[in-house]
Amino acid sequence: MVEARERAEGVVGPRRYEEVLKAARSRAEEALRAVGVSFSIEEGKGFVDLVVDVDSVVRAAEALKAAGFDHVVSVTAVDYPKRKQIKVAYHVTSYLDPEIAGGIVGLAVYLPRASPEMPSLTSVWVSAEFMEREVYEFFGVHFRGHPDLRPLLLVPELAEKHPLRKDFVVREESIYEGVPERVRRG
Amino acid sequence: MEEGRVYLGNLDVAAKRARDILLGKIKLEKVVDWANAFSLWPVHLTTSCCSTEFAATFGPRFDGEQFGALPWVGPRQTNLIVIEGTVTRKMACAVRVTWEQMPHPKFAIAMGACALDGGLFYNSYNVVRPWEVIPIDIYIPGCPPRPESVARAIVELQRRIRSRRVASSWIREGWRPDRDYVAPKEDYCSWQRTSSPVPL
Ligand code: SF4
Repeated sequence: MVEARERAEGVVGPRRYEEVLKAARSRAEEALRAVGVSFSIEEGKGFVDLVVDVDSVVRAAEALKAAGFDHVVSVTAVDYPKRKQIKVAYHVTSYLDPEIAGGIVGLAVYLPRASPEMPSLTSVWVSAEFMEREVYEFFGVHFRGHPDLRPLLLVPELAEKHPLRKDFVVREESIYEGVPERVRRG
Repeated sequence: MEEGRVYLGNLDVAAKRARDILLGKIKLEKVVDWANAFSLWPVHLTTSCCSTEFAATFGPRFDGEQFGALPWVGPRQTNLIVIEGTVTRKMACAVRVTWEQMPHPKFAIAMGACALDGGLFYNSYNVVRPWEVIPIDIYIPGCPPRPESVARAIVELQRRIRSRRVASSWIREGWRPDRDYVAPKEDYCSWQRTSSPVPL
């Protein structure tokens, strides 16, 4: 920590995001290789996801944390109904390490859509707690070992339907639906 | 009470009225309406992003306090609730509980397109219309409405209270006549009883 703060004092001026992302990415890859976690890479413009196995996700998270990625920016999920998979992605970056601060790297896992279950990473990054609850209610992903896995934003009846899954049908309303007769007449 | 007039508090007028009341020249009902119109204290219940404009209304630039409205924190000391934007299903319970804690007679303003009919979140699975939760007096369109619109709504509510004798008649009857049009509280607050954790 102290060392990181000392380094922070030496930094002047902002850098381009591509540079920061590159630094963060190579740091993350090194960290995963050092602990022997195999991973594949998905990347697009401005983002990079390191996809690991469900079994090694906790080890990968611990390695990333030790390498300086000290907090989770967001936890999100993507539903792939055709491939029968759900991808859960943890976006991590650093506050204290100026080398990689602001460079956001994703740590992703693919889960079977029928029974999505993975170990919770709250023991590694505390800031993941509420976001995991959100993924739990919107996608139905179970996080093993989460301290308080309850729906966060939705009422329980709605959370059971997992509204952000692709097969959730939004009921289209007509303009006057549900309007009492006395209001409709004006 | 001609149209378009802004009703402002004035100490001289107030003193004159107080004298007239004491002498029995003015009906007490009228006094009640007059007093209610100039003490519309909105409770600051932030349901969504419209609240920034609501806060701006009572900031130094737009100075909503000149109309006799002062945002207050506790619902027990307020008589106006401004629904500030989208009301989600869980928040609907908070709105309803706050509404029930406010003393009678109480008024409600629905602010923003979301509070009218969903607005940006039309067709969403998690949004309720505030007029199903509590009875609404005034609607403000806009996304978000400007602070002037909020001030206009307050002035409009004052006009309505004074010209239709709303407050005094409600006090006489002991309840709002449109109180029964809203859905029962159970519809919005039943989720609170569900124990944790919920099996999915
Ligand atoms: S009307 Fe616009 S500003 Fe107001 S709550 Fe809805 S989206 Fe937000």
